[in-house]
Amino acid sequence: METEKKRILVVDDEPSITRLLKLNLEQTNDYVVRAENDSEKAIAAAEEFQPDLILLDVMMPGLDGGELASRFQANPKFKRVPILFLTAAATKSEIYARGGKVGGLPFLAKPVELSAVVACLKQHLGDGSKK
Amino acid sequence: MNTETVTTSTKQTPDQAVLESEQRYKRLLASVTDYVYSVTVEAGRAVSTFHGPGCEAVTGYTSNEFERDQQLWYRMIREEDRPAVLQQAEHILRGEEPPPLEHRIIHKNGSERWIRNTTVPRKDSQGRLVAYDGLVYDITERKQAEERLRRAHTELAANEEVLKRTLEELKAANKELKETQLQLIQAARLESVGALAAGVAHEVKNPLQTILMGLDYLVPTCPAGNQDMVMVLADMREAVTRANTIIRGLLQLSAQTDFEMKHEDLNASIRRALNLVKGQVIASKVSIVRKLDAHLPPVKMDRGKIEQVFINLFINALQAMSLGGVLTVTTRAGQFGENLKVNDAAFRQLPQGQPVVLAEVQDTGTGIAAAHLPKVFDPFFTTKPVGEGTGLGLSVVKKIVDFHGGGVDIQNAAQGGVVVTLVFKAEPE
Repeated sequence: METEKKRILVVDDEPSITRLLKLNLEQTNDYVVRAENDSEKAIAAAEEFQPDLILLDVMMPGLDGGELASRFQANPKFKRVPILFLTAAATKSEIYARGGKVGGLPFLAKPVELSAVVACLKQHLGDGSKK
Repeated sequence: MNTETVTTSTKQTPDQAVLESEQRYKRLLASVTDYVYSVTVEAGRAVSTFHGPGCEAVTGYTSNEFERDQQLWYRMIREEDRPAVLQQAEHILRGEEPPPLEHRIIHKNGSERWIRNTTVPRKDSQGRLVAYDGLVYDITERKQAEERLRRAHTELAANEEVLKRTLEELKAANKELKETQLQLIQAARLESVGALAAGVAHEVKNPLQTILMGLDYLVPTCPAGNQDMVMVLADMREAVTRANTIIRGLLQLSAQTDFEMKHEDLNASIRRALNLVKGQVIASKVSIVRKLDAHLPPVKMDRGKIEQVFINLFINALQAMSLGGVLTVTTRAGQFGENLKVNDAAFRQLPQGQPVVLAEVQDTGTGIAAAHLPKVFDPFFTTKPVGEGTGLGLSVVKKIVDFHGGGVDIQNAAQGGVVVTLVFKAEPE
């Protein structure tokens, strides 16, 4: 029996990163990924895509990841959607020291291996992400 | 004896002549600085003494006064010097020729005088002592000059001592100044490296993420049996890891304000850091010895940063013991400089008596060449093989410890290997 693939919205201003995240995550057959490189368009993309989890870069031109996360959390449609940060603005040890969270939200420090991203997605999506 | 030629004028009146004679006598007396005395000896005992006229100039007493009072000569000797004078008299009475004696007398006017007393025995044809003559020189001026010279010498010696101390203090101050200057240069260097790192590190991480994700994408597509491609991809992954390690170190160096300071248990941080390097410990065949004081007072610190400090130190220690060894971690509490002695130069910022917590990380590895010790905290200084060290580990350690107001010292241990000493201010429990 095949469970429904989880829908991941990836927002990062680096097209190469969103492209490779999409390729890698979809290659696992567990996820459907929507990549968005313009943070200003992320809310609209989410409205359309209805993600199960949002993976956000932190440092982005225009609307940064922190601000974008606040807007998602303030939106009744998305306030229950887990948000995961993928950032170059902190080191792994700093994130570890803070229990893997900054500002109450889980963080992954770039550069991060696919296996670590997948493990984190599973943790925050619950058991339903597995076939 | 000093002498003066005496002339008289035939034109003077008798009164004038007397007056002039008296004045001349006084002048003569004033210029006399020595006189002769004779002691008559009978049956080995002094029976009488005659003091020559010059005695008045030296002692203030006239010959008549000495003649009337045969003990006067003895009483005028300063009390402390009397035994030596008596001893000299005993020698001469035994027919010997004692060396001249210098001693003090009290002048009739109450002043103290120094004299040199030279005695010469006089014997009859049978060689028996019948008398002895003494020559007394007034050596007060010489003695006073000697005393002034002695005081000047003492003063000079004292001044020399003060100069030596001042010189030592200046040398110490100069050394301290140089050390402070070096620390400032080091701090400035760290700041500039940190500022540069902060600027570029974030920009480099995104390309590294792309390469890493690209590898994650390519590895599953690698044709089975294509060992060359497997090797190339593995090398690329290793290169990303190395680049990221350097960036991480640079970012840690540049981190200025994001310290979360709380009262923490240093032992707990050490245990967590040991746990994090457990894999490397097992692989390196190193055994761990924990000597952690169970009653450590808390330390105000950023837990994550301090764990990073210990991780860096443990990794250094493990790399220094490639053939196995013992890693000893010790903690203890005490009062800085009192019951807890360390190399003071590295902990100058801590006041004496400050309650502190000390941690030591000691390995049994190869140690550090003496010439390298002053450079170990310099960014990018490393003696490790290419790819094994970034040269940032100890720089990060120092920066973090400095931020905590603590101190770090690294020395070769007497029994081999390296001992790193960390000192933190203890907080009240």
